[in-house]
Amino acid sequence: MNYTQWLEEAKRKGFDDIEFFISGSKTTKISVYEGKVDQNVQSDVVSLSIRAVYQKKLVTAKLENLSDETMHLTLDALIENAQAITAEEPAIIYEGSASYPEVPVEDFDFSTIPTEDKIKLVQDLEASINGQEFVKQVQTTIYQENENSTQILNSKGLNLAHKNTFAYVYAVGVFEKGEDIKTAYDIKIAKQYNEFNVSEMAQKTLEKGRAKLGGTSLKSGAYPVVFSNDMFADILGVYSSIFTGEAAYRNLTALKDKVGEKIALESFTLIDDPLHPDAYFQSAFDDEGVACHAFSLVDQGVFKGWMHNLKTAMIFNEEPTGHASGGGIRPTNLYLKPTDVAFEDLIQPIQDGVYITDLVGLHAGVKTVSGDFSLQAGGFRIENGKVTTPVKMIVVSGNFFTMINAIEGIGSDLKFGLGSTGSPSVYIKELMIGGE
Amino acid sequence: MLEKATLQTLIEEALETGADFAEIFLENTNQSVIRVTSGEVTNISRNNVSGAGIRLIQGVDEVYGYTNKADETSIRNIIHNLRATYQSEQVKATPLGEAKPYVHNAKRPMDSVPVKEKTDVLVRLSNIMSQHDERIVQSIAQLIEWEQDILVVNSHGTYQDDKRTYIRAVMMAVAKDGNVMQEAYEGPGRFMGFEMVEEIDLDALAKDVAISAINLLTAEDMVSQVMPVVIHNGFGGVIFHEACGHPLEATAVAKGLSPFVGKMGEKIASDVVTAYDDGNVEGAWGRLSYDDEGRPTQKNLLIENGVLKGYLIDYRNSRKMKMDPTGSARRQSYKFSPTSRMNSTYIAAGKDKYEDIIKDTKYGLFAKKMGGGTVQPATGEFNFAVQEGYLIEDGKLTKPVRGAMLIGHGKDILFKIDRVADNLTFGQGMCGSLSGSIPTDVGQPTIRVQSLTVGGGGGKA
Repeated sequence: MNYTQWLEEAKRKGFDDIEFFISGSKTTKISVYEGKVDQNVQSDVVSLSIRAVYQKKLVTAKLENLSDETMHLTLDALIENAQAITAEEPAIIYEGSASYPEVPVEDFDFSTIPTEDKIKLVQDLEASINGQEFVKQVQTTIYQENENSTQILNSKGLNLAHKNTFAYVYAVGVFEKGEDIKTAYDIKIAKQYNEFNVSEMAQKTLEKGRAKLGGTSLKSGAYPVVFSNDMFADILGVYSSIFTGEAAYRNLTALKDKVGEKIALESFTLIDDPLHPDAYFQSAFDDEGVACHAFSLVDQGVFKGWMHNLKTAMIFNEEPTGHASGGGIRPTNLYLKPTDVAFEDLIQPIQDGVYITDLVGLHAGVKTVSGDFSLQAGGFRIENGKVTTPVKMIVVSGNFFTMINAIEGIGSDLKFGLGSTGSPSVYIKELMIGGE
Repeated sequence: MLEKATLQTLIEEALETGADFAEIFLENTNQSVIRVTSGEVTNISRNNVSGAGIRLIQGVDEVYGYTNKADETSIRNIIHNLRATYQSEQVKATPLGEAKPYVHNAKRPMDSVPVKEKTDVLVRLSNIMSQHDERIVQSIAQLIEWEQDILVVNSHGTYQDDKRTYIRAVMMAVAKDGNVMQEAYEGPGRFMGFEMVEEIDLDALAKDVAISAINLLTAEDMVSQVMPVVIHNGFGGVIFHEACGHPLEATAVAKGLSPFVGKMGEKIASDVVTAYDDGNVEGAWGRLSYDDEGRPTQKNLLIENGVLKGYLIDYRNSRKMKMDPTGSARRQSYKFSPTSRMNSTYIAAGKDKYEDIIKDTKYGLFAKKMGGGTVQPATGEFNFAVQEGYLIEDGKLTKPVRGAMLIGHGKDILFKIDRVADNLTFGQGMCGSLSGSIPTDVGQPTIRVQSLTVGGGGGKA
């Protein structure tokens, strides 16, 4: 049977409505170690995610075995599952938005580039780093290309499709100076093959690695802290869940009942823009087929509202915001609004502070519910308004909600990360640093 | 699944690429996740992972391909796409042998138990947490079950199937008082069926989770300092897993990225440390009959009285290191090429008593429950969150503290362990690395580390 026939079969089995999210992924990965191909991985996977409503209960499944037999068994299991759900919550299959924004077409066919060229690209990158001053070795050098396609089909007649391709390259350099060993990498994402520039990528990796060497710990205490744009974007990424309707509904966010209230300093404006041109990816619709659009979560310190999927929007009696993602709610391109303050000016007033360019273990050291965080960090000292010597093996601790009320300055250097968040550099009045 | 004769033909065709070793890994996995939130059944989902992974090795070089279309034509297409890579003389495949029996003791596999029976247990656990204290504003009980059927065949004649049955109950409670919100969790798991709910006292654990969340409401923020740390048994072993287990995996050793390279037979830890990685602990979350290359798993001695005795080695790295494989090749699914990973990794029991270790510590941190952490293999730097901690003052546990983060170097901490108790237990986690996310046990008795850097947000004037 094909997808359309399965939709009909599900209706015959008694489902109120059903939706298929068909996701195709083709990848090629080449890694090089000491001049030789270490790994060459090719893949071709199609998976089918099902959202189905049976007697007003929503149940889900994901299949990679797409045989008729598995499909029948799955639909029957979904009926048993639906009957076991007791929560009375909205269960919605969407008929579609009135219109969808245009997103740039990115369909460069990376498979037209000969494999030998890709191997040579990573070999060249590795060779450009190896043997340079303070380089102990290159741990791995990787090229990966991705061709993704998604299609949403449902029993209400919705039929949406999207395709995109991209590739990325990075090398992980191991740097050594005396007893001190550090690793560094710089990832380059490209939509066209000719965007890769070996000498530029090598130079960035070398700069990052060398800058980290010779670091010392710090005396424990409270310090002014500046987070680099990459690191603050990562922090926004892990805390983005507290801005979701799901967290509000499940009592898992301290922002519950705070819509319309001031939760941060006026300088703090948080925007989610699915079409932001500087972000790596743009989206026209979310995983439930709802059109995406830009909106402010926090406007000049005031909390404006939740990110929703279809279910939580109905629970809060609001419009869906286009943030359904893989069964949950996630931002598309969430970023902190930059200012026009240059980095040099941002740090200029700091006499004795820390510039954090590395955070490790974000999955373990962050509590989203309480807002507390305690993270292994590395970076540089800031002395008399200037970035000076490297700092390593420190712990930076604080609380997200306190921190967004202690922002002394925000830079102009907005940068989007590989996840779905972006940020400029951010200067926090004071955070606890654990060191010696 | 494909016929044996067809697989034999595909293996032979794979060797025509010039590879000297070919392997096909077939998998069908079904997973069920049921979640109860504050007493209501809110989510039930199923997940099927199904496909084939094809690996070709020439010397120490490897190519890998995978697809969810595990039919003869699709696998042949992958082999042809991978083919261009090698040019060398063809080796002959050994005819596929007979599969050896695997251990499969699951009494109640996931699809044999009515969903309602499972939701009843979860609702009970959720209610135990919610009813403990009115400040518990959220209680989540989740049951994760999966069954993985695999078949691995290779050009050395290996033809081995295996069935792995996993179950895990995850409990989480959120406590709120005024503006303070805190969370606590537990997640026991086993290599067995639904009978786990009879073997583990889940009700008592649910109660513990609620107590822990409430205690955290009034805990003080940890003040950053360097101090002795007593790490409790069970999940406390996560530090050994991260800081010592990962650097002993061949993936780190073969590339020279581990501080333990070339240290075989040398002292890498204090005398009180003996450690194992064991793939054969009955019913354990990290257990397997056969690894993902079809080798029987075994008990591997890693450290004996502080002396390095062994690494964890997969087939490809065994060629690089010129040492025997240790039954340690694992992968999350057919989407990953297998490599050396841990199963149930633990520091062996010592002779000390837990109570004496606390009593003999003048001042320090008692890390009762550990959270997650990471280690960077090349540098050996690690970080671990303490989920539940207490100050030790004059040999007694005093104030609860929160937000403590332990950081250090793997090679240093092993020498700083000066006390090991006799109360070995295991904790369960999902370990992420090159070949994906896999279930592993961490374990240890209560140990004391003489000094560690402890970070935290407390102590502000």
